[in-house]
Amino acid sequence: MKTINEVLSKKLTGLYYGNRILLPFSCYILKLNIERDLITDFSPCCKGIHISETEDFMEIYFHDYKDLGESVGKYEKIKMIIVEKGKDVFDVKNHIPIALNPIANHVLEIEQIDDKIIFIE
Amino acid sequence: MSRISITIIILFSIVLFASSLLIAESKTVSDTLSNSTVLQEETSEHHSLPSPYMVLPFIVLLAMIATGPLFYHRFWETNYPKIAITLGAITVIYYLVFLQDSHSLIHTAAEYLSFIALLSSLFVASGGIFINIDSKSTPWLNAGLLLFGACIANIIGTTGASMLLIRPFIKVNRHRIKPYHIVFFIFLVSNIGGALTPIGDPPLFLGFLRGVEFFWIIQHVWYIWLPTLVVLLIIFLIIDFRNKLEPEEEVQYSGKFEFKGGKNVIYLVVIVISVFIDPSVMSWVPSLAPLPIGIREIIMFIVVFLSYQTADDEILRANEFDFEPIKEVAYLFVGIFATMIPALQLISYEANVLGDRLTPGMFYFSTGFLSAFLDNAPTYLNFLSAEMGKFGLNVNDAAQVINFAELHPIYLSAISVAAVFFGAMTYIGNGPNFMVKSISERAGINMPSFFGYLIKYSIPILLPIFIIIWAIFYYNQV
Repeated sequence: MKTINEVLSKKLTGLYYGNRILLPFSCYILKLNIERDLITDFSPCCKGIHISETEDFMEIYFHDYKDLGESVGKYEKIKMIIVEKGKDVFDVKNHIPIALNPIANHVLEIEQIDDKIIFIE
Repeated sequence: MSRISITIIILFSIVLFASSLLIAESKTVSDTLSNSTVLQEETSEHHSLPSPYMVLPFIVLLAMIATGPLFYHRFWETNYPKIAITLGAITVIYYLVFLQDSHSLIHTAAEYLSFIALLSSLFVASGGIFINIDSKSTPWLNAGLLLFGACIANIIGTTGASMLLIRPFIKVNRHRIKPYHIVFFIFLVSNIGGALTPIGDPPLFLGFLRGVEFFWIIQHVWYIWLPTLVVLLIIFLIIDFRNKLEPEEEVQYSGKFEFKGGKNVIYLVVIVISVFIDPSVMSWVPSLAPLPIGIREIIMFIVVFLSYQTADDEILRANEFDFEPIKEVAYLFVGIFATMIPALQLISYEANVLGDRLTPGMFYFSTGFLSAFLDNAPTYLNFLSAEMGKFGLNVNDAAQVINFAELHPIYLSAISVAAVFFGAMTYIGNGPNFMVKSISERAGINMPSFFGYLIKYSIPILLPIFIIIWAIFYYNQV
């Protein structure tokens, strides 16, 4: 499994298939925004989202969406506040805002949110 | 108890309450109908009045807009276009089949197209403009931005000002933003600010098209607009000074003001100019009647296309531009415009019947409360018609409108102020309210629900101010 910094610095991409995204790193998700949904409940009983992990990647299912490629607009992004697994989640310096952008051929762009894009933690 | 059960109970209570009102209303209407058939002909332009029960689709739609995002979020998100169109279709079929009144439908279609052309063109054109203020958020800076937004709303409309400033406003406040920031933005920039000119808000523009002089509003409303703005800004400052949130880390601010997308400013100017391209303003402009669209709307739709096609990709990406907010407004308001036809006709009829007994204060509150839940433009027009009817004047005659504005300014001022100000009372009171809410939610801000907005903000903050305005300017005025 790669680190978040490695993925961001090397501009590595993830994948998406329908309502499922695959991320090449492992992280704690603190807050997620997709379309108008602001998700902070990632418990197993939350119907809208399901997170699972394998040894090589992390996957998120968005049950309320059929196809992320169609649901997320051309200039829109899925935004998340995440923390690298193993790092102190209570230290806000470890909180990383990232944006995911589903593009063609199931490729999911991963980038750190800069000052131009607004995502309030 | 499940959310669905609570929703069903709320909806059932609303429908039950509405039905009881409608039964009473039905009786009143039938009583007055028998006594004033002449007025009926004038009011409904030779068509029968709708059954009071036809207000039900409108009440159901409003109830669902209020409860949907709260109790059955996913169902609402997926199905609101179908619900709005289905409820609208019930009214359309009723008018076509039972009342055989296509005139009201074409008239409403024209108003809707005009409404959506203006909103969509301002939305897309301002979406291609990027403003960044790299400065520390302070209550004074926020108040300055809100004041600036309120002022430019009179030049580029409340929609244009809202779309242009909401993102920079959120960005400036990103380390200390709370829902009240957005709520005050909706109060001041998306609504009350635009009360001074016909470009500011659609109802005033309809008045302008009927004959109200361009500068009449600023002359007769500024002394109400200014203190309202000042009081709201003082309340905002008090709340904002108590917000002690600071960024976790030391942030360096350059103090720079960045502006990109200059060509879209030209598109905004084109939209503002095209507002006046109307046969009733410029005699050389051809009318496309009976089509429910004019040259103005065609220009605005062309601007939508051109401003999107020529916009800078980087700016659209930075603004996370998406058509969803305007799509939502377009669908919901197609339902609102269609289903509110019977409500407006019945209100207009009753206002005409009761005209002699109605004072400026009554017109103020009637226009205001209806503008909070219905679209404020047709509400304004219906009450303008009722006010003029009270004095034996005809709203369709521009000379008589000018005469009315000169002789009875207090009446015109009451509905002008109320139609614009009360639009801030709910998310559905004015088109930009919904768009600002949608953009804020996508920026990660947890906005209050329909009822939360009403109970936590509009009723405690706006309503007392609106009552004071009534007491000072409209109470005991005849």
